[in-house]
Amino acid sequence: MPGQLMFARRLGPTARLAIWFAIGMTCVVLDTRYRALEGMRAGFSVVLQPLRVALRTPADVASEIGGFFTRHRLLQKERDALLAERTRLQIEADRAEDLARENAALRTLLGLQSRPGQQVVRAALLYQGHDWFGQKIVLDHGAAAGLRNGLPVVDDAGLMGQVTRVFPASSEVTLVSSPEQLTPVMLERTGQRGLAAGVGHGRLELRYMPVQADVRVGDRLLTSGIDRIYPAALPVARISRIVRSQSSPYLRVECVPLAGLDRARAVLVLAARPQEARP
Amino acid sequence: MSSAPREAGSWGRILGTLGLAVLLTQLPWSGWALALRPDFLLIVVLFWTLHQPTRVGFGAAFLLGLVSDFQDGAVFGQHAVAYLVGVYAMLFLRLRLLQFDPLRQAAQLFPILLAVQLVVLLVGWLAIKPPTGLAIFMPVLSGTLLWFVIALLQRAWHGKGMRGAE
Repeated sequence: MPGQLMFARRLGPTARLAIWFAIGMTCVVLDTRYRALEGMRAGFSVVLQPLRVALRTPADVASEIGGFFTRHRLLQKERDALLAERTRLQIEADRAEDLARENAALRTLLGLQSRPGQQVVRAALLYQGHDWFGQKIVLDHGAAAGLRNGLPVVDDAGLMGQVTRVFPASSEVTLVSSPEQLTPVMLERTGQRGLAAGVGHGRLELRYMPVQADVRVGDRLLTSGIDRIYPAALPVARISRIVRSQSSPYLRVECVPLAGLDRARAVLVLAARPQEARP
Repeated sequence: MSSAPREAGSWGRILGTLGLAVLLTQLPWSGWALALRPDFLLIVVLFWTLHQPTRVGFGAAFLLGLVSDFQDGAVFGQHAVAYLVGVYAMLFLRLRLLQFDPLRQAAQLFPILLAVQLVVLLVGWLAIKPPTGLAIFMPVLSGTLLWFVIALLQRAWHGKGMRGAE
C-alpha cells in the first residue's frame, strides 16, 4: 500500500515518484538531446575535485610504502638500464632533430604547410568510471592546463583515448576501448588503413577489413593521422584474433589495446599548438 | 518504527553517512574492485529511507543519483531516476522490511537493488546504447552483502532497537 505514509497535507509516494520521475526524465532528455547540463557537470566537478585529490592520497601512500621496501639491488639494476636507455634515446633524439630540420627545409622547398608542433601536458589518473555504457577516466588537469576537447591521451605504451569533457581543473577521457569510440588506424606491417572501434571490456575491433586483406594475428595498429586529431604513428592496439565468417564480406578482427587502460596512473595529453592561419 | 532508530537517526548522522558514501565512491577504484564496488550512495539512501522516511526520500535520492551520474560520466538523470524507483520500492515495503533480521532483510533488498540496476540499464539503453556485458549486475550482489553487514552493525549498535518492531 503506497498510501501508508501519506500524511494529511503531504503527497503520497506515488505522486512524489511521478513528479521526481518527470524531473529525472527531463534531465535525461536535456542532457542527451541538447547537452544543456554541462554547466551542472562542471559544478559537480568543482565540488568533488578536491575530494578526489584528497582520497587519492591513501593509495599513493600505500604504493609509497610498498616502494620503500623495494630492494636496493633492484633499484640499481633499474638505474643502470635507464642510463643505457637514456643514452640510446639521446642519440635517437639528436637524429630526430636533424631529420626534423631537414624535413622543415624540404617542406619549405615544396611549399607545404609545416606540421603543428607537439606540446605535452602531464596528467595523473584521478578516477575511473564504471565500464557499463562507455569507459571514461578522469584526469587531474583541465582547461586551466590548456586542455581542450578532442586532444589525444597517451601513456608510455600507446594511445589511451581522447579528451571528451573539460572542466576547470579536471577532464574526462573516453578510452579507445569504449564502445563506439572510433580511431583511424593503419597496420604497421602493410600500411593499410582501417578503423578501430571500441567494443567495451577493454577491447577493440578493426572494422571493415575485406576478407582478402593481409592481416595477421600479432600485427600492430598505429594511428594513421589522417583525421588531424591524432598524430600519426601512435601505437594503438595489437591484433589478437581474426575470425573469417562465410556470411560477411568483412573479417572480424579483435584487438587488445597496447596502452595500459586500466593500469596506467600517469598519462600524457598531447596538446598540439593551434595551427596558425595561412596568410 | 521503534523509538531507538528515531533517536539514532539525527541529521548529523544522516549527513555523516551520506558524506561517507560520497567519499567512498571518490576513492580511485579500479579493476575487480571497481566492478564489484557496491553502490554506496544507493545503499545509504535506501537505509535512511527505511529508518527515517520523513527526512530522507525522493529529493535526497535524486540529488545523490545525479552525483552518481557524474561519477560514471553517464547521462544526467540515469541513476537519479533509478534511485527514485529504489526509494519508492523501499517506502512500499518499509513496514515489512523492518520486521526482518539482517540476513532476511538483505535477501529482500536484493530484488530492490536489482530493480534499481535494471532501471539504470534501461535508461542507459534508451539514452545511449546497449551496455557491454553483464558486469552491470555485480553491484547488486555486493550491495546486498553490504546491506547485510550494515543491518548487522545497526542491530549490534542499537541492541534490540530495530527488532522492537517485531
